[in-house]
Amino acid sequence: MTGLDRGGPDVYRPAEDSGLLAEAAVETAHGRVLEVGTGSGWVAERIAEERGLRVIGSDRNPHAAAEARERGIEGVVADLLDPFRGGAFDTVCFNPPYLPTDPDNEWDDWMEHALSGGESGRELIAPFLVDVGRVLAPGGTVLLLVSSLTGYEEVLALIADAGFSHEVVVEESFPFETLTVLRLEREG
Amino acid sequence: MKESLMDVICCPLDKGDLELDVDERDGEEILEGTLTCTECGETYPIEDGIPNLLPPDMREEEENGEAAA
Repeated sequence: MTGLDRGGPDVYRPAEDSGLLAEAAVETAHGRVLEVGTGSGWVAERIAEERGLRVIGSDRNPHAAAEARERGIEGVVADLLDPFRGGAFDTVCFNPPYLPTDPDNEWDDWMEHALSGGESGRELIAPFLVDVGRVLAPGGTVLLLVSSLTGYEEVLALIADAGFSHEVVVEESFPFETLTVLRLEREG
Repeated sequence: MKESLMDVICCPLDKGDLELDVDERDGEEILEGTLTCTECGETYPIEDGIPNLLPPDMREEEENGEAAA
Protein backbone atom coordinates (compact mmCIF):
# COMPACT_ATOMS: atom_id res chain seq x y z
CA MET A 1 0.00 0.00 0.00
CA THR A 2 1.27 3.43 -0.82
CA GLY A 3 0.16 6.89 0.19
CA LEU A 4 -1.62 7.16 -3.15
CA ASP A 5 -4.48 4.83 -2.43
CA ARG A 6 -5.21 6.18 1.04
CA GLY A 7 -6.20 9.54 -0.30
CA GLY A 8 -3.62 11.08 2.00
CA PRO A 9 -1.13 13.73 1.01
CA ASP A 10 1.79 12.45 -1.08
CA VAL A 11 4.07 15.43 -0.67
CA TYR A 12 5.28 17.11 2.53
CA ARG A 13 3.64 20.52 3.00
CA PRO A 14 5.77 23.54 3.95
CA ALA A 15 5.84 23.93 7.75
CA GLU A 16 7.84 25.80 10.42
CA ASP A 17 11.01 23.93 9.45
CA SER A 18 10.58 24.90 5.79
CA GLY A 19 10.08 28.55 6.76
CA LEU A 20 13.25 28.57 8.83
CA LEU A 21 15.33 26.91 6.12
CA ALA A 22 13.98 29.35 3.52
CA GLU A 23 14.88 32.29 5.75
CA ALA A 24 18.45 31.02 6.17
CA ALA A 25 18.83 30.11 2.51
CA VAL A 26 17.53 33.42 1.18
CA GLU A 27 20.08 35.10 3.43
CA THR A 28 23.13 32.95 2.65
CA ALA A 29 22.69 30.97 -0.59
CA HIS A 30 25.09 31.74 -3.41
CA GLY A 31 25.95 30.45 -6.85
CA ARG A 32 24.35 27.27 -8.11
CA VAL A 33 21.98 25.78 -5.53
CA LEU A 34 20.76 22.23 -4.87
CA GLU A 35 17.95 21.54 -2.47
CA VAL A 36 17.96 17.88 -1.42
CA GLY A 37 14.55 16.51 -0.39
CA THR A 38 12.83 19.52 -1.90
CA GLY A 39 9.31 18.17 -1.22
CA SER A 40 6.79 20.66 -2.60
CA GLY A 41 9.67 22.84 -3.86
CA TRP A 42 8.53 25.77 -1.72
CA VAL A 43 11.94 26.50 -0.17
CA ALA A 44 13.66 26.14 -3.55
CA GLU A 45 11.15 28.55 -5.07
CA ARG A 46 11.79 31.15 -2.31
CA ILE A 47 15.53 31.01 -3.06
CA ALA A 48 15.04 31.21 -6.82
CA GLU A 49 12.56 34.10 -6.62
CA GLU A 50 14.13 36.18 -3.87
CA ARG A 51 17.76 35.68 -4.87
CA GLY A 52 17.48 35.07 -8.60
CA LEU A 53 19.69 31.99 -8.31
CA ARG A 54 19.51 28.79 -10.32
CA VAL A 55 18.00 26.17 -8.01
CA ILE A 56 17.77 22.44 -8.63
CA GLY A 57 15.38 20.47 -6.42
CA SER A 58 15.80 16.75 -5.91
CA ASP A 59 13.56 14.28 -4.13
CA ARG A 60 13.17 10.51 -3.92
CA ASN A 61 9.46 11.03 -4.40
CA PRO A 62 8.47 11.58 -8.06
CA HIS A 63 5.29 13.40 -6.94
CA ALA A 64 7.48 15.90 -5.09
CA ALA A 65 9.85 16.41 -8.03
CA ALA A 66 6.81 17.04 -10.25
CA GLU A 67 5.39 19.60 -7.82
CA ALA A 68 8.77 21.38 -7.59
CA ARG A 69 8.87 21.50 -11.38
CA GLU A 70 5.43 23.14 -11.47
CA ARG A 71 6.93 25.88 -9.32
CA GLY A 72 9.60 26.46 -11.97
CA ILE A 73 12.33 24.56 -10.12
CA GLU A 74 14.47 22.07 -12.06
CA GLY A 75 13.23 18.81 -10.57
CA VAL A 76 15.23 15.58 -10.36
CA VAL A 77 14.23 12.24 -8.83
CA ALA A 78 17.25 11.12 -6.84
CA ASP A 79 18.43 9.33 -3.72
CA LEU A 80 20.24 12.03 -1.70
CA LEU A 81 23.32 13.18 -3.63
CA ASP A 82 23.95 10.04 -5.70
CA PRO A 83 23.45 11.42 -9.25
CA PHE A 84 25.18 14.79 -8.80
CA ARG A 85 28.64 15.55 -10.11
CA GLY A 86 31.63 16.40 -7.99
CA GLY A 87 32.03 20.13 -7.37
CA ALA A 88 28.71 20.95 -9.07
CA PHE A 89 27.10 23.18 -6.40
CA ASP A 90 27.97 26.30 -4.41
CA THR A 91 25.09 25.84 -1.96
CA VAL A 92 23.38 22.64 -0.86
CA CYS A 93 20.25 22.90 1.36
CA PHE A 94 18.68 19.97 3.20
CA ASN A 95 15.67 19.75 5.51
CA PRO A 96 16.01 16.04 6.21
CA PRO A 97 13.33 13.60 7.32
CA TYR A 98 14.34 13.64 10.95
CA LEU A 99 11.70 12.18 13.25
CA PRO A 100 13.00 9.19 15.18
CA THR A 101 10.68 6.31 14.32
CA ASP A 102 10.13 2.95 15.94
CA PRO A 103 10.83 0.38 13.18
CA ASP A 104 7.63 -1.48 14.17
CA ASN A 105 5.61 1.66 13.57
CA GLU A 106 6.94 2.69 10.16
CA TRP A 107 4.00 3.13 7.87
CA ASP A 108 5.74 2.90 4.48
CA ASP A 109 4.25 5.57 2.26
CA TRP A 110 5.54 8.83 0.79
CA MET A 111 4.81 10.81 3.94
CA GLU A 112 6.84 8.32 5.96
CA HIS A 113 9.76 8.85 3.61
CA ALA A 114 9.32 12.61 4.08
CA LEU A 115 9.23 12.51 7.88
CA SER A 116 11.01 9.48 9.26
CA GLY A 117 14.71 9.55 10.00
CA GLY A 118 14.70 5.91 11.09
CA GLU A 119 15.20 4.74 14.66
CA SER A 120 17.85 7.38 15.45
CA GLY A 121 16.28 10.15 13.38
CA ARG A 122 19.67 10.46 11.67
CA GLU A 123 19.52 7.71 9.07
CA LEU A 124 19.55 10.15 6.15
CA ILE A 125 21.59 12.91 7.79
CA ALA A 126 24.60 10.61 8.25
CA PRO A 127 25.00 9.48 4.60
CA PHE A 128 24.20 13.02 3.40
CA LEU A 129 27.05 14.46 5.46
CA VAL A 130 29.48 11.77 4.30
CA ASP A 131 28.83 12.59 0.62
CA VAL A 132 28.00 16.31 0.53
CA GLY A 133 31.63 17.48 0.45
CA ARG A 134 32.00 15.72 -2.90
CA VAL A 135 29.35 17.79 -4.72
CA LEU A 136 30.44 21.15 -3.24
CA ALA A 137 32.46 23.55 -5.36
CA PRO A 138 35.41 25.29 -3.67
CA GLY A 139 34.03 27.81 -1.17
CA GLY A 140 30.74 25.92 -1.11
CA THR A 141 28.24 26.02 1.74
CA VAL A 142 25.79 23.52 3.19
CA LEU A 143 22.61 24.63 4.98
CA LEU A 144 21.26 21.84 7.18
CA LEU A 145 18.13 22.00 9.29
CA VAL A 146 18.50 20.18 12.62
CA SER A 147 15.75 19.46 15.15
CA SER A 148 16.42 18.87 18.82
CA LEU A 149 14.34 15.69 18.37
CA THR A 150 17.10 14.30 16.17
CA GLY A 151 19.84 14.88 18.76
CA TYR A 152 21.64 18.17 18.21
CA GLU A 153 24.96 17.07 19.75
CA GLU A 154 24.94 13.82 17.78
CA VAL A 155 24.43 15.73 14.52
CA LEU A 156 27.27 18.13 15.42
CA ALA A 157 29.53 15.09 15.92
CA LEU A 158 28.60 13.77 12.45
CA ILE A 159 29.32 17.22 10.98
CA ALA A 160 32.78 17.33 12.57
CA ASP A 161 33.51 13.73 11.44
CA ALA A 162 32.66 14.75 7.86
CA GLY A 163 35.27 17.55 8.06
CA PHE A 164 32.97 20.57 8.33
CA SER A 165 32.88 23.54 10.65
CA HIS A 166 29.45 24.88 11.58
CA GLU A 167 27.74 28.06 12.66
CA VAL A 168 24.11 28.76 13.57
CA VAL A 169 22.26 30.87 11.00
CA VAL A 170 18.80 30.86 12.62
CA GLU A 171 17.25 29.07 15.55
CA GLU A 172 13.70 28.92 16.85
CA SER A 173 12.06 27.08 19.72
CA PHE A 174 8.67 25.45 19.51
CA PRO A 175 6.74 23.60 22.25
CA PHE A 176 8.16 20.20 21.33
CA GLU A 177 11.41 20.94 19.55
CA THR A 178 14.04 23.52 18.78
CA LEU A 179 14.89 23.96 15.11
CA THR A 180 18.29 25.22 14.01
CA VAL A 181 19.66 25.91 10.57
CA LEU A 182 23.40 25.32 10.50
CA ARG A 183 25.75 26.66 7.88
CA LEU A 184 28.57 24.18 7.22
CA GLU A 185 31.87 24.88 5.54
CA ARG A 186 34.83 22.65 4.86
CA GLU A 187 37.44 22.94 7.55
CA GLY A 188 40.90 24.15 6.65
CA MET B 1 14.62 19.30 -17.78
CA LYS B 2 16.88 21.81 -19.42
CA GLU B 3 19.87 20.58 -21.38
CA SER B 4 22.12 22.55 -19.01
CA LEU B 5 21.18 20.12 -16.23
CA MET B 6 23.65 17.73 -17.92
CA ASP B 7 26.43 19.84 -16.34
CA VAL B 8 25.46 18.74 -12.83
CA ILE B 9 24.11 15.18 -13.14
CA CYS B 10 25.91 11.87 -13.51
CA CYS B 11 25.22 8.15 -13.16
CA PRO B 12 24.19 7.44 -9.54
CA LEU B 13 25.97 4.08 -9.62
CA ASP B 14 29.47 4.93 -10.87
CA LYS B 15 29.36 8.74 -11.38
CA GLY B 16 29.99 8.18 -15.11
CA ASP B 17 28.99 10.81 -17.69
CA LEU B 18 25.47 10.53 -19.07
CA GLU B 19 24.46 10.67 -22.72
CA LEU B 20 21.20 12.38 -23.56
CA ASP B 21 18.69 11.04 -26.10
CA VAL B 22 15.72 13.34 -26.61
CA ASP B 23 12.33 11.92 -27.64
CA GLU B 24 10.23 15.03 -27.08
CA ARG B 25 11.19 18.63 -26.60
CA ASP B 26 9.25 21.82 -25.90
CA GLY B 27 11.54 24.75 -26.60
CA GLU B 28 14.33 24.61 -24.00
CA GLU B 29 12.62 21.85 -22.05
CA ILE B 30 13.33 18.19 -22.66
CA LEU B 31 10.06 16.42 -21.82
CA GLU B 32 10.74 12.80 -22.72
CA GLY B 33 13.99 10.99 -23.31
CA THR B 34 16.66 8.70 -21.95
CA LEU B 35 19.93 9.23 -20.14
CA THR B 36 22.52 6.50 -20.65
CA CYS B 37 25.67 6.07 -18.59
CA THR B 38 28.72 6.07 -20.85
CA GLU B 39 30.56 3.84 -18.32
CA CYS B 40 28.11 1.10 -17.26
CA GLY B 41 25.39 1.50 -19.92
CA GLU B 42 22.57 1.80 -17.34
CA THR B 43 19.64 3.89 -18.62
CA TYR B 44 17.50 6.42 -16.78
CA PRO B 45 14.18 7.76 -18.09
CA ILE B 46 13.17 11.40 -18.50
CA GLU B 47 9.39 11.56 -18.03
CA ASP B 48 7.20 14.68 -18.00
CA GLY B 49 10.34 16.79 -17.98
CA ILE B 50 11.90 15.10 -14.95
CA PRO B 51 14.89 12.77 -15.04
CA ASN B 52 14.55 9.76 -12.73
CA LEU B 53 18.08 9.10 -11.53
CA LEU B 54 17.27 6.59 -8.82
CA PRO B 55 19.45 3.48 -9.04
CA PRO B 56 17.52 0.79 -10.98
CA ASP B 57 16.70 -1.39 -7.94
CA MET B 58 15.13 1.54 -6.08
CA ARG B 59 13.23 2.67 -9.16
CA GLU B 60 11.79 -0.82 -9.68
CA GLU B 61 10.86 -1.11 -6.02
CA GLU B 62 8.80 2.03 -6.31
CA GLU B 63 7.23 1.09 -9.63
CA ASN B 64 6.26 -2.30 -8.20
CA GLY B 65 4.93 -0.67 -5.04
CA GLU B 66 2.66 1.57 -7.06
CA ALA B 67 1.57 -1.22 -9.37
CA ALA B 68 0.60 -3.37 -6.37
CA ALA B 69 -1.48 -0.61 -4.78
